[in-house]
Amino acid sequence: MSHHPCVVVIPCSGIGKAFGTVSREAAYELCESLRPADTNLVALSKLVLGEEDAKSRVRSNAAVTIDGCKLMCASKLVKLSGGTVAREVSVLDVFRRYKDLKPEGIAELNEAGKELARVIAAEISETLDEVLAESQGGHHA
Amino acid sequence: MPDLPERKVGIIACSGEELAVGTVSRLAALKVLHELRPGKTVTICLPLFLAGGEGDRAFARFYPTITVDGCELRCAARGTEMYSGKPTASVVVSELAAENGVGHIDGRRRLNQAGQDAVELTAERLTSLVDEILATKAPAKPLVSIAASPEKPKVVGCACGSGIPVQTVSIEGQPVELLALPLIFSNLRERGRAPEVAADELMANVEIYNAVPVGSKAAYRTAILREYAAYWRGGMR
Repeated sequence: MSHHPCVVVIPCSGIGKAFGTVSREAAYELCESLRPADTNLVALSKLVLGEEDAKSRVRSNAAVTIDGCKLMCASKLVKLSGGTVAREVSVLDVFRRYKDLKPEGIAELNEAGKELARVIAAEISETLDEVLAESQGGHHA
Repeated sequence: MPDLPERKVGIIACSGEELAVGTVSRLAALKVLHELRPGKTVTICLPLFLAGGEGDRAFARFYPTITVDGCELRCAARGTEMYSGKPTASVVVSELAAENGVGHIDGRRRLNQAGQDAVELTAERLTSLVDEILATKAPAKPLVSIAASPEKPKVVGCACGSGIPVQTVSIEGQPVELLALPLIFSNLRERGRAPEVAADELMANVEIYNAVPVGSKAAYRTAILREYAAYWRGGMR
């Protein structure tokens, strides 16, 4: 039986600003709406704790991180957990290209924030096949 | 008249992205922070204990902290204790919901009605704990507000906007970064503690948040007192 490869997606847990909520919403849009068969969401808090299953998932799959601020917690923790970050997405970098999509609201994003999350998810989705191919190539090299 | 130091309670949510109860933990924490007890509560992103600096890891040693976890894995409670300090109280959403007969919580992205009920229930529990902590007499260690410091100390910026200020002091010719020093200075000055009488209290506070090498205590004392005297004079102008 062949193992279906997937990409693990790790958003940051930013709770103080809307950009953190955008990272979370983008991850849900990607994992639940756009590419549910190819992605697997990993809670960042599990990597803080060093939970074995979560560490194993980030070590054995290519990881896409989505961070809400420049401290890049998700990206750093994947690396600390022994994983490989295949794509490192910064919400702020995407926002600089879409200045009209200013996110507001932490508990509940405004429509611009939701749209920014959809843009980020779509951009990741477009490159996901490439990430999967890279990870497959890496395994066979 | 300067603002008096204010006790605040830290709330740390697991925010677990995989499960709906993780979403409940996050929304309940936000409800308390923004609606129910604004100004009385502060938060920090849990991952900053690893990805951030010493100022972030000092969070639970500085604020009496309540952790709120979605599930029995208790990532926030255990992670906080591992990297920062033992939480004053902990709440687990799944347990609280079960105890109160809340139905199946679902919808990590958009909570179902049971999830929304759990947010209300968890927020009520957190609020009650915040009030209990604030009603108790101040513990041995001082609890002061970051906003009480008139200087602009170096802080670690993050998506949660928190972090404990640090100050670099030259001790025996070496720069030493001391955690919470700006707040300790601010607290002492606001209580009218002049440098000539504050040395013992100053050092006791510094040693709560910083490891002072046994062989260098006298040098630390001299340097910190020198800095406090300068700070005191600045405030008296």
